[in-house]
Amino acid sequence: MAQLTQPVAPAGSRPSTAARPARRRFRPRAGGAGKQQSGGPVAYLFLIVATLLSLFPLYWTVVAASHTDTDIVTPPTPLLPGSHLISNLRIVWDQVDMTTALVNSTIVAGCVAFSTVLFATLAGFAFAKLEFRGRNALLTVVVATMTIPPQLTVIPLYQIITDVGWVGHIQSVILPSLVAAFGVFFMRQFLSEALPVELVEAARVDGAHSMRIIWHVVFPVARPAMAVLGMLVFVQAWNDFFWPFIALNQQNPTVQVALAGLGSGDHTIDHAVVVTGALVATLPLLLVFAVLGRQIVGGITAGAVKN
Amino acid sequence: MATSVRATSDGDSTGWRSKLYRLDTKASPYAYIAPFFLCFAAFGLFPLIYTGWLSLNQVELGTGAQWVGFHNYAELWDNQFFWNALRNTFTLGLISTVPQLLMALGLAHLLNYKLRARGFFRVAVLAPYATSIAAASLVFVQLFNPDYGMINQLLGHLGVDPVQWSSSKWPAQIAISSIVTWRWTGYNALIYLAAMQAVSGDLYEAAALDGASRWRQFVSVTIPSIRPTIFFTIIVSTIGATQLFGEPLIYGGNSGSGGSAHQYQTLSLYMYDKGWQVGELGQASAVAWVMLLILLLIGAVQLFVLRNNRRKLGG
Amino acid sequence: MRTSGRTRKTAVIAVAGLAACATLITGCSSDSKDSGSGGGKAAANEKITLHIGDFGSFGYDDKTGAKLFSEYHALHPNITVIEDNVSDSGAYWNSLKLHLTQNSGLDDIQALEIGFIANATQPQYASKFVDFNTVKGFDAGAWLDYKEKEATTSDGKVIGVGTDVGPTAICYRKDLFQQAGLPTDRDAVAALWAGDWGKFVTAGKQFKAHAPAGVAFTDSASGLFNAVLSSQPDQYSDGSGNLVYDTSPGVKTAWDIASTAVQDGLTAKLQQFDANNTWTAAFKTNKFATVACPSWMIGLVATNSGPANQGKWDIAQPPQAGNWGGSFLAVPKSGKHVAEATALAQWLTAAAQEVKVFQKFGNIPSNKAALSDPAVLNTTNAYFPGTPVGKIFTATANDIKPAPIGPNDGVVKDTITQNGLLDMEQRGTSKDKAWSNVQAQVKDKVGDQ
Repeated sequence: MAQLTQPVAPAGSRPSTAARPARRRFRPRAGGAGKQQSGGPVAYLFLIVATLLSLFPLYWTVVAASHTDTDIVTPPTPLLPGSHLISNLRIVWDQVDMTTALVNSTIVAGCVAFSTVLFATLAGFAFAKLEFRGRNALLTVVVATMTIPPQLTVIPLYQIITDVGWVGHIQSVILPSLVAAFGVFFMRQFLSEALPVELVEAARVDGAHSMRIIWHVVFPVARPAMAVLGMLVFVQAWNDFFWPFIALNQQNPTVQVALAGLGSGDHTIDHAVVVTGALVATLPLLLVFAVLGRQIVGGITAGAVKN
Repeated sequence: MATSVRATSDGDSTGWRSKLYRLDTKASPYAYIAPFFLCFAAFGLFPLIYTGWLSLNQVELGTGAQWVGFHNYAELWDNQFFWNALRNTFTLGLISTVPQLLMALGLAHLLNYKLRARGFFRVAVLAPYATSIAAASLVFVQLFNPDYGMINQLLGHLGVDPVQWSSSKWPAQIAISSIVTWRWTGYNALIYLAAMQAVSGDLYEAAALDGASRWRQFVSVTIPSIRPTIFFTIIVSTIGATQLFGEPLIYGGNSGSGGSAHQYQTLSLYMYDKGWQVGELGQASAVAWVMLLILLLIGAVQLFVLRNNRRKLGG
Repeated sequence: MRTSGRTRKTAVIAVAGLAACATLITGCSSDSKDSGSGGGKAAANEKITLHIGDFGSFGYDDKTGAKLFSEYHALHPNITVIEDNVSDSGAYWNSLKLHLTQNSGLDDIQALEIGFIANATQPQYASKFVDFNTVKGFDAGAWLDYKEKEATTSDGKVIGVGTDVGPTAICYRKDLFQQAGLPTDRDAVAALWAGDWGKFVTAGKQFKAHAPAGVAFTDSASGLFNAVLSSQPDQYSDGSGNLVYDTSPGVKTAWDIASTAVQDGLTAKLQQFDANNTWTAAFKTNKFATVACPSWMIGLVATNSGPANQGKWDIAQPPQAGNWGGSFLAVPKSGKHVAEATALAQWLTAAAQEVKVFQKFGNIPSNKAALSDPAVLNTTNAYFPGTPVGKIFTATANDIKPAPIGPNDGVVKDTITQNGLLDMEQRGTSKDKAWSNVQAQVKDKVGDQ
């Protein structure tokens, strides 16, 4: 390992501070941590406003979910949580198979995020740093595939999953999104700036096998971007509705599909129940954000200082 | 794959090894991009081609197709509803992506400071992204309700007359773009942040030594350094804006017409209306392909501009 | 070495993750495979599960409905019924269309809403359903004449059995009528507009002259339009399903009535069932005094208006009887248990069961024997004290004159109500301009017919 990277990190080209000893250049992103300036009061002010704007609609979801349908449409609109959260939750679980839905969504979003991150990193690395015939043309194809409107592709896609007999099974939702063009493009853009080409060349000169370069050079550099991508793709897969609604059913739903079965009773739609369902669907993601997100966003910089 | 790694490192014949090495250099890029293209070939290519074929036919769901050549495209040219949708897509896209990306850039810059509770801020601004379009739109239609919505109540306190957030064109478009902006600003900020943290500290140190202010550093170090990422977000947002669908659909109460006078009907909604509600798959596919072509055109222009810029900047 | 340790960990996680996904995918597929597979015709005592796909509220389920599924299970211990319910009928029909064309993802029974039945009777879909004429014990005459006619294809196949109908009356606020100096007794109110929708508008003008501030006569132009149109013998399409909306006297009558109401300021400018909940809220904030209410809407009037307004609403006979809403049950041929599913659909729509659903849930039966059942006739509703709800709606149901329907009716209806009329109400577009907009849009959507 050591020989592999040393040539690109000539020590002492610039004086390094105590907080970031020689390891700094081992992973280029490490540099970001050291230069960080402290934010002034204006920065805090802006961030607090941004936080309030971001969180208020979420807070209001909680408020709406804890009132009755009648309360939330009658002015003045309630601003504090009410007492109907438990009963609304009970209706949600009564009306749809929310437990199965949560399990299914976790599997679907987990698998999709996992494979997308893995394959997108490989492809992104190839597009960013490896020379091969047709690279630019293929990259253009990748980006172009993002432009296909999803509302129309469901018809041929449904034909495909019918032919292979996946209708109603969750692989119909997982397999078509195992790797997204968006992810490839994202990793390509990130690696093209974050991964110094010398690092790869040095490894090559050392005779490292390309899989070895992936493990030892690409993954460490790409880790923050992989974490971000994983989180983004997880959320995207979790919130996907249009296609899963057609491919699955209420016996084997994802969360968003289950939400479509919510609220109808007595000829009207109970919006408080619908909002409660939306809250149930969102909470696991917020939890992932709160736990993982802190790790990830903290890790991007902290990791650099630590080693 | 793991086996082949071991085979190379254990192999003692240098000739064998260098042959393998050359093969590896040649073939491995293709192996890395293969999963994407396999997946695309299995689930993306057929829909793309099929849609193209449909666009040249007059066809409804479940019925036989009748070849009409470019008739569906020609019809769009004289169609006021198509042009209206195109205009709306453009204006909605503009007012929902430009402020969004600028705000995200600023937010990322702030989040990159050393701050107390930095982790909290980062998670908080990303939180809107966790909500589904449906949930977000549900909340926003409540907030923007002209009769009892919180925003009009607030404006009322300031002495402003109730704004017709759905029946008037611009207020409706602003309301919809605010849903988009709310959901995606934090997301883009996080992407920028990830890129900013990969910027080498040396560059800043050099700039600081040259006496550059923070703003100057932001403009002349941060922005150029994360240019590929900015390019990425512009492309992705442009595509997202061109395909804008869920927000106006739910804002209009699950109706594809995009308001009583189509004041916020986007191309995607127009296509959905044709393809799903009316069942005219051929015409809907033609709209889809026009969207695709528009995007490719925009992409080419953006690429061109970027290349020119890079040459100017000497990058 | 730290890095390589970490990368090894990454590698392990990568492989483990992929393996886990693969296992989960295959595990799930083998799990769920047994749910639908009976393999041909079931033996007499083989345990089978029947899935019934529907939308909104059918009132069959065991939680809030008439508990018909558990009752059926008690009668046929080997059969379990599971409901596959979604709330939005439009989304339901969109995916059903795709499922039908591919013969996959279908439930054993699929409900069809009246708004889509003319689509479902088109050959490409109708051929996928069991023709009830070939089913033993089926008698189309058991249902209201117009009901089964709607589910009949041009070549005489019957693809669905009728669940409920939506006879439409006028719900009105007694207190607001009194304040405006109008009669409050339901017979006197009905007499105000008996036989003529034009008189309904006249009553609206009288109401407006003395109306309490901020109260419109009726909720929406689209609600009024639908009520008027559904009472007309000719609507959007002719007998062979072709669109004739722009020459149809029925459409013209309904359009004129509704736009007069808009121009005279009699509507509250609301959009029914809007996602913004404005319409729902307006019940409680007393924004209007009448709403054309199909039988299925009275539960909604009650919940939307809330306890504070209990006893203030009453229901009067409409100027002319019309039908708004109702559904059918159809059986896809490709199902694994077609015979059992057909039997279940017939049982669910038999008189005895439709009476139970009505009692529990208020859906007016389309089965004639159920309609004349005393249990239905004598039903009342606590929210409308003293109102003979059962009698009013069954009388209306029996008065309805059938009108031809066509596959594009829904497109025209949506365009007229969501674009034409709403545009007049909310954006002040003139009547003529609004109509030419409607024509342009319909032409764009369905082409020249």
